[in-house]
Amino acid sequence: MPLDLSRIKYDLFYLSPEIVLVVWGLLVLLVDLGLARTATLDVRRRRIGMLSLIGVGIALAAAAVVCFVPLFVRGDPHLERSWISPESAAYFLDPDPTIFFGTIAGDLQSGFFNLLYVALLGLVVGLSMSTSFTEELGEYFALLFWATVGMMLLTAAEELVTLFLTLETMTICLYLSTALEKSRRRSAEAGLKYFVYGSVSSALFLFGLSMIYGMTGSTSLEAIRDVLRTGGTAGLRGNVAGAVSILLLMVGFGFKIAAVPFHQWAPDAYEGAPAPVAAWIATGSKLASFVAMMKVFLHGLLPWSNPSTSVLGPGWIGIVAVIAAVTMTYGNFAALAQRNLKRMLAYSSIAHAGYILVGVAAVSVSTVEAKAAAAVLYYLIVYAFANVGAFAACAWLVRDKNSDDIDDLNGLAYQEPLLAICILVLMLSLIGIPPLAGFFGKLYVFMEALNQPQTNQPISLIWLVALGLFNSVVSAFYYVRVLKAMFFRQPGEKRLLPASRAIAVPIVLGTVVVVIFGIVPDYLMGMMQAAAVPMLTSPIVVPKVNDELYKPKPGQVIPKRPPVVSSPEANKAYADQMKRGMGTNKGGGGPAPKKGGMPPGTKKGAGKAKTGGGAQPGKQAPEKAKEGSGASRTMPGRSQIGAVAMKAGGA
Amino acid sequence: MSNDIPLTWFLYFAAASFAVGLAGVLIRRNAIAVLMAIEIMLNAANVNLVAFWRYGPDRPDAGPLAGVILAIMVLTVAASEVAVGIGLILLCYRRWHAADVDRYDSLEG
Repeated sequence: MPLDLSRIKYDLFYLSPEIVLVVWGLLVLLVDLGLARTATLDVRRRRIGMLSLIGVGIALAAAAVVCFVPLFVRGDPHLERSWISPESAAYFLDPDPTIFFGTIAGDLQSGFFNLLYVALLGLVVGLSMSTSFTEELGEYFALLFWATVGMMLLTAAEELVTLFLTLETMTICLYLSTALEKSRRRSAEAGLKYFVYGSVSSALFLFGLSMIYGMTGSTSLEAIRDVLRTGGTAGLRGNVAGAVSILLLMVGFGFKIAAVPFHQWAPDAYEGAPAPVAAWIATGSKLASFVAMMKVFLHGLLPWSNPSTSVLGPGWIGIVAVIAAVTMTYGNFAALAQRNLKRMLAYSSIAHAGYILVGVAAVSVSTVEAKAAAAVLYYLIVYAFANVGAFAACAWLVRDKNSDDIDDLNGLAYQEPLLAICILVLMLSLIGIPPLAGFFGKLYVFMEALNQPQTNQPISLIWLVALGLFNSVVSAFYYVRVLKAMFFRQPGEKRLLPASRAIAVPIVLGTVVVVIFGIVPDYLMGMMQAAAVPMLTSPIVVPKVNDELYKPKPGQVIPKRPPVVSSPEANKAYADQMKRGMGTNKGGGGPAPKKGGMPPGTKKGAGKAKTGGGAQPGKQAPEKAKEGSGASRTMPGRSQIGAVAMKAGGA
Repeated sequence: MSNDIPLTWFLYFAAASFAVGLAGVLIRRNAIAVLMAIEIMLNAANVNLVAFWRYGPDRPDAGPLAGVILAIMVLTVAASEVAVGIGLILLCYRRWHAADVDRYDSLEG
């Protein structure tokens, strides 16, 4: 089947932040190889750190361009400003938001999250420059960059293959980064524990993925939803294979987000890893995994969410609600007993994963799905910034006192009152106290869980919301312990040195974000709602792909594309033509006449199929066998299920 | 051609092999043996993928070799995971002078 490769050079535009980060990671690795022979550790750390920050800056610029240029083009379809060629404009005005044949999304959500990841990466890279915990600096920064590439592509994945590959990219880089602090034994052990848990849950996730592929015949999330919506596998009622596959997928995602039966790696990995790596695991990988989980469960598997009216009926909402409840409770109660700051933060992020899972369950029952998904994304962003600040405080402790117990924070308010107040604000946001952003995150998530359409029997999630509120109160007790140490205890003998810029910037930036988005949450909620819409829905209905379209008929001349003419006169002529045609066509139909006589189906060949795809190929298979063409796809014995008669005819 | 192995046999085999791998991860004490058991699990999922591709419905939009390509990607990922795992095990071995996962207990439970 000939593929339409002409869009690839435009699709690479959407991938430019990832390309920058990959290449810059290699560059950092090679530069460190050269520098390591000549400079001392501190000089090397500063130089490689600055080089990494320059790379992050370039990636940030690329991510901003990728996020905002399509918005400008879509807001200006008449091309009054001819700063972009008509071919590129036609590319951006294409309503299909996926790139690379439907495997990766290039919409507002992935653009915005790319920007977010690169910004958080900048904070983490800056934090890494503050303490000296490893000698392998080139490897460390390269692994951080490549883990970020995995996160960015994971957020954009629209297909199960891409999902698996990018999930593994991200986690493998994080396994290695966890173990890089070679001077401490606990770092190697944390890395190995993270690795073993992670590999086992990846294998379980892959098994579930293979069963979903088997039941629906395709790996694209859109196609899976189409097959499930038509009841292609008879729903989840009595469907043991479907239920098992959902459970296995939950194992994989549950490991990544540290939900309760799969959380045991988190305290050890967070405690053993160096503080910037723990920050990245707690924020970046959790964010990316939650977005991927929402895409799979709320976009691909949405027909299986809650076909009945009780929470424990056939559907995945029951298991997600139960896991959310157990995770919240366990995380909060286990954090009460912790003395180590990093371990406490690990259990607190387990608890926060529970709250966010309540939001994920809410999206499937809420009246406006996009609003509930926006609540979850808002919570994730606020949680990420607060946690990076908290881990920056851990890095500060390790730098000066070489240990990260809560008691090491004693008397911080007397030494550095401003930063102590910032840490106070971060902890209050994590508890969920108004008017900070953490409160609004929890408010929106719990509101959306109760905001259901008024049918006869709405699914009752009120017990979940009540449990969440109770747990928020319980969580106050262990965050307050941090504040008690900072404000009400005298400092010990070993004092903390003044915080460098690398440590102060994440803390202050986290505070600013939390305060601003707490006072005006609507702006971020609006942006997240716009971002959530392409995540949950497909804006176009693609007609079922028919193979016959791709075969050139005998005697048919396929017209070539017109050459790209990109002068100001041609742009003006094009804009005038569009304006003249505006009376009859819709705005999106403007670019179509310029493309000549291209067959309509070739724009996005792979990755999309309408319903009825299961019935059609059964009829097509014997036709193809009789024609003798396309033999590579039809093998003897294919379509064995219910096709005995056809085989007898074809053999 | 008319005596093909039924699809369910492949699935039973993959499930049994996966269970063997999972049991290996939980029971074995040597870290390298745990790694081997993880490989068994990943390859059981591969068998599942290829079996579903071979016997499954013919979807033209999924590409000509969807299941097989996915299995190849999984093989690549499994190989890189083994490389990373061996490196981490070596790192732990240098500290504890043992490859026994029960002995890696410096972090409190």
